[in-house]
Amino acid sequence: MSSAQIEIQLIASIVAVACAIPGTFLVLRKMAMISDAISHSILPGIVVGFFITQDLNSPVLILLAAFTGIITVVLVEYIQKTGLVKEDTAIGLVFPALFSIGVILIAKNANDVHLDVDAVLLGELAFAPFDRLLIGGTDVGPKSLWVVGTILLVTISLLILFFKELKVSTFDKGLAASLGFSPAIIHYGLMSISSITTVGAFDAVGAILVVALMIAPAATAYLLTTDLKKMLALAIGFGIFSAIFGYWVAHWLDASIAGSISTVLGLVFLLVYLFAPSKGIIAVMYREKQQQTEVSLLTFLLHLKNHDELEERHVNHLNEHINWQKVRAQTVLDLALKNNMIHIEKNIVSLTKKGDEFTSKAIDYIMTNEDAQIEDMKDDFFLFRG
Amino acid sequence: MLGSFAVLRKQSLLGDAISHAALPGIAIAFLITGAKDTNTLLIGALISGLIGTFWIKSIVTKTHLKSDTALGLILSLFFGFGMLLLTFIQKQPNANQAGLDKYLFGQAATLVESDVWMMAIVTGLCLIVMLTFWKEFKILLFDADYTKTLGFNTKFIDILITTFIVLAIVLGLQTVGVVLMSAMLLAPAAAARQWTNSLSVMVFLAAIFGAFSGVFGTAISASQNNLSTGPVIVLVASVFVAFSFIFSPSRGLLFKQIRVIKNRRDLELHKTLAFMHHIAETHKDISHPHAIKLLNNFQGYTKSTLQKLVEKDYVQINGNMWSLTKTGFETAANLYTKQSTEDE
Repeated sequence: MSSAQIEIQLIASIVAVACAIPGTFLVLRKMAMISDAISHSILPGIVVGFFITQDLNSPVLILLAAFTGIITVVLVEYIQKTGLVKEDTAIGLVFPALFSIGVILIAKNANDVHLDVDAVLLGELAFAPFDRLLIGGTDVGPKSLWVVGTILLVTISLLILFFKELKVSTFDKGLAASLGFSPAIIHYGLMSISSITTVGAFDAVGAILVVALMIAPAATAYLLTTDLKKMLALAIGFGIFSAIFGYWVAHWLDASIAGSISTVLGLVFLLVYLFAPSKGIIAVMYREKQQQTEVSLLTFLLHLKNHDELEERHVNHLNEHINWQKVRAQTVLDLALKNNMIHIEKNIVSLTKKGDEFTSKAIDYIMTNEDAQIEDMKDDFFLFRG
Repeated sequence: MLGSFAVLRKQSLLGDAISHAALPGIAIAFLITGAKDTNTLLIGALISGLIGTFWIKSIVTKTHLKSDTALGLILSLFFGFGMLLLTFIQKQPNANQAGLDKYLFGQAATLVESDVWMMAIVTGLCLIVMLTFWKEFKILLFDADYTKTLGFNTKFIDILITTFIVLAIVLGLQTVGVVLMSAMLLAPAAAARQWTNSLSVMVFLAAIFGAFSGVFGTAISASQNNLSTGPVIVLVASVFVAFSFIFSPSRGLLFKQIRVIKNRRDLELHKTLAFMHHIAETHKDISHPHAIKLLNNFQGYTKSTLQKLVEKDYVQINGNMWSLTKTGFETAANLYTKQSTEDE
């Protein structure tokens, strides 16, 4: 591994961490699309900043671009407040307009300089190590490493300082306001951090990857946990993993690093989406099926309890009467047998003592409409789940 | 046109997501066929756009992630994947690959006649489908549950609308590019929404706005050098939106402000009249003159309100004195009972 490769991976990981932190809060605050809007609308800010400074890495440019990002947020909120259109429409109206202004500015004035739309949108991580920062003639590392490093440090220190405030205002705005810290300040603070991160990272990894790095790790982590600290840690972990793994995929395929990092992010999300223990698709489908069987079981037991007559409880009659498909009837019957809730004698099904108790309790809960308690009760009674 | 449905269904950003999600489709179609035939590329874009859309829908329904997260996720991931494929293609020894990235930013000038025909045909198709299923679309839009109880196949209609939105976006990609497509979808519809409450008028207006911004945008961009068509069209459309926001008669900001001022004036007038009534009541003769000075320390009073009251024939002025007329007295007496109906 050459030093350039290590540097690229380092930059990618730092960007991933710097994006994952604000990203987590954006996802929790249902403002994920704002990051997309910001990443596009910083373009005019960058262009104007570039005219003033003539240097793609100067802090003024980053500040100007971040300022455009905040303007976007304010504009979106203003349009939304007029009540003429909904929030998502407002976002969809504002950022293409700003982006168009940026594109036109570039086309009119900056055709001959090193600044084009592709570079802003897509970035090129591979060139990052060649743009060195020289202090007093000595080489202290790639410029973008310093830029994103500083941003990361600021983000982390702000996060630690204001963790409690952020947490409260994210989950309970009213409480936050009544506790005396203004949700508006936190809101705009978060927005500024997101804009600055986006701007700082765009030149290394491109605007689209910034969005991917902000949303995807946070969304993936959200599927796995509901604890804010764990979610942050997981998001950071996913970010770093995808950054490094993505780099090697790109290396192997000889393709865009930004693209392959987001592809890896996508794959990670897909895996978690399918296999997450409690919220993944497969888990959800399994649970739905389990509940379906258990509800059937309950209906079946209720039927038994209501009928004392022998002929009503004959297996053949039950088949006919309840009219389930064979497989399903068999599953339900097996489950009931396994849990010692019924016993079958000469094809006559009857409730055991335990089954009887279970059924009466279930009826109680259903009558009092405390459906939630049925889940606990199932835990008490079931040896095997559906 | 189809944008109207997107706006009303609160799926505005879907357009943005789809236009990004179409990119890997274009790349894959190119990888498979190895040719830069517009139609195959479009079919690829259509398929991946649809996959993106349905994945977004399933994320929203099956997990607790919100729609904005799902949109952002799919958008950036698909786009990143598309970029990966595009850069991968660029390394391939195939001279044909140049120009694939034109799809990213769009270039209306590169359109050839067959593309235009293709668009015209698809637009016509959209129109026909929209007219046939007009009632279903409309009812689904405003009350999905009711539609279901009426026995319509909501899933089918939903998929139909989505497919056409995706189709429209994919076609538009060539003209204005990935980033600006969402504005093309949204802006005319958002502008049209300000002028009307009726769906059919809105769709019609949106089509006109869209066409106008297209024509104007192209004209402006053609008149100057170095001005790409897409951004100019989008800016023109945005101007339409801003104009509609401010000047539309019933919802616009300008008229809203005017209405607020007018209401305030009316209220002041009523207050003055009520105060006068209060004073006049103390005399047997309602037309007994009082000094104007009396009104001075009353906050609702200004010279112009008094003037207006005179114009309405509620008050007579004689030098420094005023007196209520008969009609003025009656109006004032009925003011409170009448006010609620009058203000409507």
